[in-house]
Amino acid sequence: MKVNEVPQDDVFDYSEGIKKGNYALDDKGKYVMVPSKGWVIDEMINRMAYDEYKAKEEETRKAVLAGRKSPLAYYMELRQMTPEILGKTAGIATFRVKRHLRPEIFTKLKPSVLEAYAKALAITTEELITVPKNPRER
Amino acid sequence: MTTELAANGKPFVHQQAAHCETGVTSALFRHQGVDISEPMIFGIGSGIFFGYLPFIKLSHLPITAFRSKPGSVFRKAAKRLGADFVIKTFRNPQQGMDELRQLLKTGKIVGLATNLYWLPYVSERHRHNFSGHNIIVLRETESGFRICDPTFAMVDCTADGLQQARFVPGPLNPRGYMYYTKSINPHPDLRGACIKGMKDSCNAMLKIPLPIFGVRGIRFLAKKVVKSPDKLGFQEACRNLAGLVRWVEETGTGGAGFRYMYAAFIHEAAELFGSAELANLAEEMDAIGNNWREFSVISARIIKKRGKEEATFAKAGEAMLNCANREEAFFNNLQKVIRKIKT
Repeated sequence: MKVNEVPQDDVFDYSEGIKKGNYALDDKGKYVMVPSKGWVIDEMINRMAYDEYKAKEEETRKAVLAGRKSPLAYYMELRQMTPEILGKTAGIATFRVKRHLRPEIFTKLKPSVLEAYAKALAITTEELITVPKNPRER
Repeated sequence: MTTELAANGKPFVHQQAAHCETGVTSALFRHQGVDISEPMIFGIGSGIFFGYLPFIKLSHLPITAFRSKPGSVFRKAAKRLGADFVIKTFRNPQQGMDELRQLLKTGKIVGLATNLYWLPYVSERHRHNFSGHNIIVLRETESGFRICDPTFAMVDCTADGLQQARFVPGPLNPRGYMYYTKSINPHPDLRGACIKGMKDSCNAMLKIPLPIFGVRGIRFLAKKVVKSPDKLGFQEACRNLAGLVRWVEETGTGGAGFRYMYAAFIHEAAELFGSAELANLAEEMDAIGNNWREFSVISARIIKKRGKEEATFAKAGEAMLNCANREEAFFNNLQKVIRKIKT
């Protein structure tokens, strides 16, 4: 790749400041590091991944409001976790985490268990028992 | 390029890097007075690789690694350059943080593996649950730590955030992975190290007797990509393909799945040995990089559903097979060239 072939597309920057380096040949035949402004393909792939996280989060939020899932499920999606990872982080067995995703079981949880979840998800206990009424702006 | 003081008052120079681990390693070496570039570290540490790991999932998609396993580049490069180094993991987060603080007090700068999601300075849109992001800690401040992220900039980070990022469980749990150099040979044997690195890379790409690694791995994945729309359905196949393109272009690879960075290394090695054959191989590697770029472009067209006749999954698979064939030839040639050049 030559220096002038490094993609410098004017696209939305998903990394917000993290410039991507590309190695390219300059006129003197030496490899140099060329920061890239962005590339349409990178932008598309990033948008896909990001939209997927967002869609999943929104879907879970609606399920919680409809009473099909517990708020724990929403915050788990928000932190891009699975029951296995959340269980390990909070120190709670995976099968228990899966049970706690059901709203009728979640409402009966002891404060100590809620605290463990809140700490693992880096939110407060008050936040954990509800979900936002409106989709999160981001 | 910016300069800042480390804990012992020694100036630390921040240089933008393409990849986190090679960037951290070359910065650690430069800080101790050995001027070495990022591609050089990448080549000496045998960074180039291919592995398709369907059994480890990150956000429900399989891992496709275009580099060797996290941590190995630093270990191999430091060993081959004759440095005295320490690598540590911890069971107890508190102990890990205490040891980090003590090291910083003695004036060392320390490399860490962290989780990209939990690093507080990473922007919301760039967050992914990936536990292999390498950073350098320069010194402790009143509010936390001063950090140099070689792919980003100099940043401040809170102590709690850093602890969370270092010890969060999940796939590829870093367990507080920490590394630093005790002392460095000021005049390392670069030629010997380069030869060792290149030999190791040839073996990794050609001789691992499992179908998911090296050149065979590329072919394996190519076949899978061709079959994927029939097996998974068009939508899901597109998702998988997009995940694959992420690994080629987006994960700090310096473009085309590290192939351009490796070309830069071979180019530098050719100057070091004064070998015209290596210079030709550098050009070939650059061309392979262009092929991988083509693959990304084809994949993007499939996902956008533009021009259905030209861009199909079969075409994408063909582009990958083309890469595999050229890489096989490249590493076979490299092996022959290594035998001729002497330290």
